[in-house]
Amino acid sequence: MKGVKLLLCLLGMVLAGYASAQAKKDFSAFKGASPRSILVVPAINISLNVDAPSYLLTSLTYPLAEKGYYVFPVNTVKFVLEQEGFYEAEQVHRQPPEALAKLFGADAVLYVTIKRWDIAGLILTGTATVKLEYRMVSKDGTEIWRADDMRQLDVQSNLLTNLLASALKDPITMDHKVLIAMSHAMTFLKGPNPIPNGPYFKVE
Amino acid sequence: MKILLIALASLFLTGCASNGLYQWGDYGSFDSKLYHSYRNPEKALEIRQGLALHISKMEASQQKVAPGLYAELGTLNLQAGDVNKAIEMYIKERDAWPESRVLMDALIINVTKRVSAKTEIKS
Repeated sequence: MKGVKLLLCLLGMVLAGYASAQAKKDFSAFKGASPRSILVVPAINISLNVDAPSYLLTSLTYPLAEKGYYVFPVNTVKFVLEQEGFYEAEQVHRQPPEALAKLFGADAVLYVTIKRWDIAGLILTGTATVKLEYRMVSKDGTEIWRADDMRQLDVQSNLLTNLLASALKDPITMDHKVLIAMSHAMTFLKGPNPIPNGPYFKVE
Repeated sequence: MKILLIALASLFLTGCASNGLYQWGDYGSFDSKLYHSYRNPEKALEIRQGLALHISKMEASQQKVAPGLYAELGTLNLQAGDVNKAIEMYIKERDAWPESRVLMDALIINVTKRVSAKTEIKS
């Protein structure tokens, strides 16, 4: 068990290293706004995978909450938006961020655009590519964080591939979850420029 | 085996840095049953009961319920027509997380209106 954990940590380091060439980001606007709560709105999808936005929406809460933020309940938010007549992500993204933040009482709004979502190769060739664009805007409309994030996961001849290939009843959907969870965690928790810790973050 | 993989993924995400802040049960990112409640409405009951059980376990062991979970259970209850339980959960979310106050108050007011409108029609 320890060996597996070590291997996964190493994989994490490799993935984190992949993105470390990016320039250091300026967090002064973020720290100025110091948001306590983040509203994640439905993602715009320009990838070819129709399921990607739903997977994405439900997987964003975990890394952001573990980073110490209050994350608005995504399903409840979607429900409220639909009650307000917003069924399409594009419609929501076109609204002024100030208005969305006010409607929900949020300190910041997180917009995600899914640019690529190529997962099909994960089982056969051990590679997958996810490209996401994140943009966080404070309640006064100022952009406070942005990440253009390409995750290329190459797990060929890795234990994880064997696990994925052998263990799963529905490998494709599970691949999505694992991959996207990793991708988010890298960006928000331990990417090269992770967002600053939120108010509930505690150092053990 | 699927559970093992989820456990491994959890270790991967949380084990390298510090311990996680919250217990997510099946309602975090990896195998989010909340996602499945969209895709398979026929599973809504099972998912709602599972989430209620997870929350009651957290409460029994006096652990903080992860942000949003009370509210998600509230919305599942609302969609199932159990308005009183929905309101109860929205109040719990609001009391646990002051950041949710604006949204929870709006939901509580709207849902209460809906109940009183129904009562008026009956009477």
